[in-house]
Amino acid sequence: MAYDVHTQETHADGDHHGHHIIPQGLLLKVFGGLIFLTVLTVLTATQMDLGIFDVPLALAIAASKSALVVMFFMALKYDNRVNTLTFVVGGIFVIVFLTFTLFDTLFRGDIGNVDRMTVEERTAQEEALRARDPGEEGLRIAPADFQNQEDAAASDTTESPSDDAAN
Amino acid sequence: MAQTPTATATAPVEHEAHGHAHHPRQQHHFVSMDQQFDAAKLGMWLFLITEILLFSGMFVAYAVYRSWYPETFDVASGALDPFLGGLNTLVLLTSSLTVALSINAIQRGKVKKMNWLLLATILLAGVFMVVKYFEYTAKFDHGLFPGEHFHPHGEYTKYDVPYAPQFFSIYFVMTGIHGFHVLVGMAVFGWLLTRGIRGHFNSEWYTPIELTGLYWHVVDIIWIFLFPLMYLI
Repeated sequence: MAYDVHTQETHADGDHHGHHIIPQGLLLKVFGGLIFLTVLTVLTATQMDLGIFDVPLALAIAASKSALVVMFFMALKYDNRVNTLTFVVGGIFVIVFLTFTLFDTLFRGDIGNVDRMTVEERTAQEEALRARDPGEEGLRIAPADFQNQEDAAASDTTESPSDDAAN
Repeated sequence: MAQTPTATATAPVEHEAHGHAHHPRQQHHFVSMDQQFDAAKLGMWLFLITEILLFSGMFVAYAVYRSWYPETFDVASGALDPFLGGLNTLVLLTSSLTVALSINAIQRGKVKKMNWLLLATILLAGVFMVVKYFEYTAKFDHGLFPGEHFHPHGEYTKYDVPYAPQFFSIYFVMTGIHGFHVLVGMAVFGWLLTRGIRGHFNSEWYTPIELTGLYWHVVDIIWIFLFPLMYLI
């Protein structure tokens, strides 16, 4: 029986791919690397101000730690390739999920926006208009504007028909 | 075929006199123990992908809200204690090491060592949950509840910024579901420990240990991402 001979040959070789024994020393080294990266991510996030690079750096360190765990603790490096394929395809789906959702949520309203002015120009224009606002004091021009200011609100509620609409 | 030249090898298949010898754990629809092991492992990897996709939905929610309200995340994440988060990171990483070492032990036939390492894993997972308990109760004491129950008082009103309730919803849901996975892992490892003590595992057959170990490492990986995203940045 050819098949039995084949399986016994792989056993005689020692390690079959499903039973690769990762040495304890290597596991401890990987653990040391994980601790080092944890300390590194805490220090870079709390002691250094990297601005926009804070998040990418933290994610890069987390990804490196995950790679160590997947390759050595989960033994994917020594494992059947089909498991790696499964893992990579799953990872691709996560990236597609994240990227295409952010394509939507990050750019909402942008596609239909045909304004000739940029957002900065719009903001500058709003600020210029706000700077020109004379305020309540500046709007008082007629003598009637200066009378009965204290009970103006009270008389408004009893007399103004627009209040009903507002309420 | 009867005796083969490799009859002295350790694999049980050679010890039998007839050609179709089976390890007692081998089911008849598998050609060999290796094929059975690989099939079980592939099934576990497929399950783990569904777990990663479950969490990725929550990570996407995190990414969307963070991109919309970065200043909220900056302020509200200050309510979390990076020391306790970092401590829990070290605890989970150590528990991943003990799992990897327990598999190393049973592969070399050291059942007792495996049992001790499984016990260590369960205890470390317990430490993680105790730390998480103290973190949660502190948040509740300060009124830092998720969603509409968000009602910080005292000095914690400084976290009452717009959309802070959403941050705490994301925090509690993500760490809560992760914590649930830790509890499930503890229960499964506890069951495996009793089986280990009853002598169910040996260097020829330890599939449940290997598969639960894979699950545990995924739980660890989720926390590897949760820790910096929630506590640090």
